[in-house]
Amino acid sequence: MAELNLAQAINAALDHALGVDERVLLFGEDVGITGGVFRVTDGLQERFGPGRVIDAPVAESGIVGAALGMAIAGMRPVVEIQFLGFAYPAFDQIVSHVGRIRNRSDHRFTAPMVMRIPYGGGIGAAEHHSESTEAIFAHTPGIKVVVPSNPYDAKGMLLSAIADPDPVVFLEPIRLYRAVKQEVPDGEFAVPLGKAATVREGSDVTVVSYGAMVRVSNRAADLLEVEGVSVEVIDLRSLAPLDEDAIVAAARRTGRVVVATESHRTAGMASEVAAVVQERALYSLLAPVERVTGWDTVVPLKRTEGHYVPGPERIASAIRRVMAT
Amino acid sequence: MALVFRLPDIGEGLTEATVVRWIVAVGDSVAMDEPMVEVETDKAVVEIPAPRAGVMLHHGVGAGETIPVDDVLVVIGDSGEVWDPGTAPNDGAHPPPVRTEAAPIVGTLEEAEEVDDPRLPTGPEALPLVRRLAATLGVELESVTASGAGGRITREDIEAAAQATGPMERVRMSPTRLAISRNLSRSWQEIPHVTTYGEAKAEPLLAERNRLKEDSGDALPLEAFLMRTLVPLLGEHPEFNAAVDGEDVLYRKAYDIGFAVDTPSGLMVAVVRDVEELSLEDIGAEIVRLATAARDRKINAGEMRGATFTVSNIGAVGGRYGTPIIPYGTSAILSVGRADVRPVVRDGELGVGREFPLSLSYDHRIIDGGKGRAFMDAVIAGIESAS
Amino acid sequence: MEPIRLLDVDGALLGDAPIDLDETRRLFVAMLTARAYDAKCTSMQVQGRLATYAPFEGQEAAQIGSVAALQPDDWVVATYRDAAAMWFQGYPWMNLFLGRMGDERGGSAPAGVNVLPPSITVGAHMIHAVGLGWAESMQGSDRVAMTLFGDGATSEGDFHEAMNFAGVFATPTVFLCQNNGFAISMPRERQTAAEFLADKAVGYGMPGVLVDGNDLFAVIDVTRHAVARARAGEGPTFIEALTYRVGPHTTTDDAARYRSDDTVEEWRRRDPVDRVRSYLQHSDAWETAWETTVVEDAAGEIEEAVAAAESLEPLERGAIFDRMYSSPTLAMDRQRAAQRRDDVDG
Repeated sequence: MAELNLAQAINAALDHALGVDERVLLFGEDVGITGGVFRVTDGLQERFGPGRVIDAPVAESGIVGAALGMAIAGMRPVVEIQFLGFAYPAFDQIVSHVGRIRNRSDHRFTAPMVMRIPYGGGIGAAEHHSESTEAIFAHTPGIKVVVPSNPYDAKGMLLSAIADPDPVVFLEPIRLYRAVKQEVPDGEFAVPLGKAATVREGSDVTVVSYGAMVRVSNRAADLLEVEGVSVEVIDLRSLAPLDEDAIVAAARRTGRVVVATESHRTAGMASEVAAVVQERALYSLLAPVERVTGWDTVVPLKRTEGHYVPGPERIASAIRRVMAT
Repeated sequence: MALVFRLPDIGEGLTEATVVRWIVAVGDSVAMDEPMVEVETDKAVVEIPAPRAGVMLHHGVGAGETIPVDDVLVVIGDSGEVWDPGTAPNDGAHPPPVRTEAAPIVGTLEEAEEVDDPRLPTGPEALPLVRRLAATLGVELESVTASGAGGRITREDIEAAAQATGPMERVRMSPTRLAISRNLSRSWQEIPHVTTYGEAKAEPLLAERNRLKEDSGDALPLEAFLMRTLVPLLGEHPEFNAAVDGEDVLYRKAYDIGFAVDTPSGLMVAVVRDVEELSLEDIGAEIVRLATAARDRKINAGEMRGATFTVSNIGAVGGRYGTPIIPYGTSAILSVGRADVRPVVRDGELGVGREFPLSLSYDHRIIDGGKGRAFMDAVIAGIESAS
Repeated sequence: MEPIRLLDVDGALLGDAPIDLDETRRLFVAMLTARAYDAKCTSMQVQGRLATYAPFEGQEAAQIGSVAALQPDDWVVATYRDAAAMWFQGYPWMNLFLGRMGDERGGSAPAGVNVLPPSITVGAHMIHAVGLGWAESMQGSDRVAMTLFGDGATSEGDFHEAMNFAGVFATPTVFLCQNNGFAISMPRERQTAAEFLADKAVGYGMPGVLVDGNDLFAVIDVTRHAVARARAGEGPTFIEALTYRVGPHTTTDDAARYRSDDTVEEWRRRDPVDRVRSYLQHSDAWETAWETTVVEDAAGEIEEAVAAAESLEPLERGAIFDRMYSSPTLAMDRQRAAQRRDDVDG
């Protein structure tokens, strides 16, 4: 056991996987000699050599496309796209080929690969560095999309993703890299993909969230607890497949749902959660499903970013609204 | 076996094509994939090759003519084969292109039939709108019986639950009670009731009844006397032996008079058929038979249906006047109360006597006040003249 | 640059033959068989039995000659126009027919045949070949990956990324570019300002070779060298095979709109199959009766594959749900049930 932050937990997972499975390799810009721009892959090239931890030219599409070829030929590549905002050039390879090769070849050729993508804002970064458009990946058939909110899940889910025979987009909430420390077991353990987790028990209202917004949701829950409201918080952890049953069970239990994400408003994951709730829990609802999201605008730069990414107060307001219905 | 070949969609969205020239004539041999016809689409002139080797038996259209996609273009068969254009075409040697819905292959897969997982929690289920109504009316959902599809609580369920206050017990109606309830609701909702009242001297009828009882030993039921009196009156006042049916009035030609029977299950109407053909004694016997059968629950539906007029002896349970409800499918009902000894005024003199209190309800749609009054007067005269 | 040529237009040998007469006859048969497949597909498309088809007539030497230089377990990553190459590396005709009929079962090459399903997108697949070859060398095997693509593909960004990676990481990749003159209607001269596509190789630090793509011998020779380099760990090679797309882009294309019949005729005179026939005739290794039999046998082989493809049991309507992930998922099962429910109701 060790107390690790998110970045360290991911590093531990990669270290372990590289150590036990010689098919695993890391590939991406600056992952090798400098250990990643967030130091997430720190020390790995030293330990495993430049043949296993490979620095790539600036070519996101090429990185993903080459990794696809490697995966088909029997390797287990874990690529890194430096920021979600830079994944767009690779989008064609992901949508048109990584997610499709199994279907196209009727299972003859498959893509057991992981695409690690730091995402999300709240760190006052330059333009393009704060994207949270993960819904586009969730909308894409043939891939899995997961996002940990804490170091324990990060290591366990990354190990599961690397072992998964299907391609996985592994989103890493940038502002959590150093913000949280947690006890993480040494060695191998797995957190299954596709399952949500209840991170806070409650009976009056359910907040559904993922990634960096889970902590924000918990802070909002703290505010409401003082006001006598019992708030349940669910961490989706997996966007595709979505743990519909967990969402529905919670909605039927409390009858009130607030979804908190930092992505744009229209057609984001919050919309999908709301659709599932009304489809399968309408008769248990005491209030409409509230979505607390970013706006349908470009993510603003540092000076006004705080008015875009939802904070605990916005989530708390939404909870109060559904409680008042 | 001949191959019937239809014009395919060769142009990605083609709906028809024109034959420019037939390369292989009817009767000629053709090899597999040999060009057999030139057709023109909006994109280009295209040669279509033969889908099988054989003899050209039939051209779908002539040169210069237009042919829609999926119409028969050619029929190619074997040497010596004859093709009858009237024959229902078969699909020949080739299976159709994989465009149509394929039948599922028998497999052993476990298939998820239910989209919902039965292990998920359920509580009382109601639309948000219904929940709001419950909250407004102060009704606890847990205490409501759901009557909606899938066990859902409906608006009506909430409203019903809201009617009652205080401690209570909910008991579902028996089938008989339910039937009675439905029939009465229907009558009450659809027929505009007017009830008119009257009194008839009872002594003559009662005297006759006593006389007959001394002779035969049985007291005839009061309803029998009433029915005997009513038959000719119904003939003279046909609206009282009728029913409104949509925009029509149905004048009943039979005299099947119903009478009320009080049974443990509830008030029923039994029907004496063709009263005009029966003697007073026969009417009485039939009334007794039906009443007994009703109380013993041995009466059948046919014996309770089809009354053209109804009498109700409420005097039997001590009633006097009432507001009888017209059985659905008729236009009137007469209830007769008990003829107690009471102060009466006859020929200007106050005295003591017996009079039957009469209550006549009728369908105001076809019976006006004057007619109602006239019939009542006739009934009174009939009863008083009992013979 | 002058294109490398070993067999001239009239079938006369200009250097050493890279293969003996028996092998030449074998490849001649292969080219005739491929041509029979191509003609059959065009025919079937007009009969409504295939979806759109992209013919390769005129490119048989480029496709079969290049694959002839490979070992049976080398990787081939090719496009929708490269059926001859794919077949020659072991991809069954039946699978190719199934693919054109819109049946995903056609995408499954037999075990041991390392040929990816044909790429429909232009320019995105060469990078896959780079990764494949690279992974082979990582795993200690000497398999190489050859990728076939056309002149149009060299304009796509992913072509650049593939060439760049191959050069930087010295992957065992053979880039076989069939410059057949057109990308649908766009002539090669308008696709890039480079005089030869082979010139582009310099920018990526790899050799660029220009070859007469209709010369079976030259294609074999050049590809052998590239394959040997790759197998020896010396890195990738870019081959530009000059050839011509005698047919239309696909069966719905009207090529007369953008090129003249004269050019087509000019190239027909340089037909790759005719050239080999002439050579065999010069070498007394050809007879009319023999070719007639070959053509008949080829037709029979193709017909068998057509019959096999057309008589395959129909796909079950929910089959798509089984192909997305390695094992059944709750979401796929539920959506399959919903599909069944909707099909019944609708």
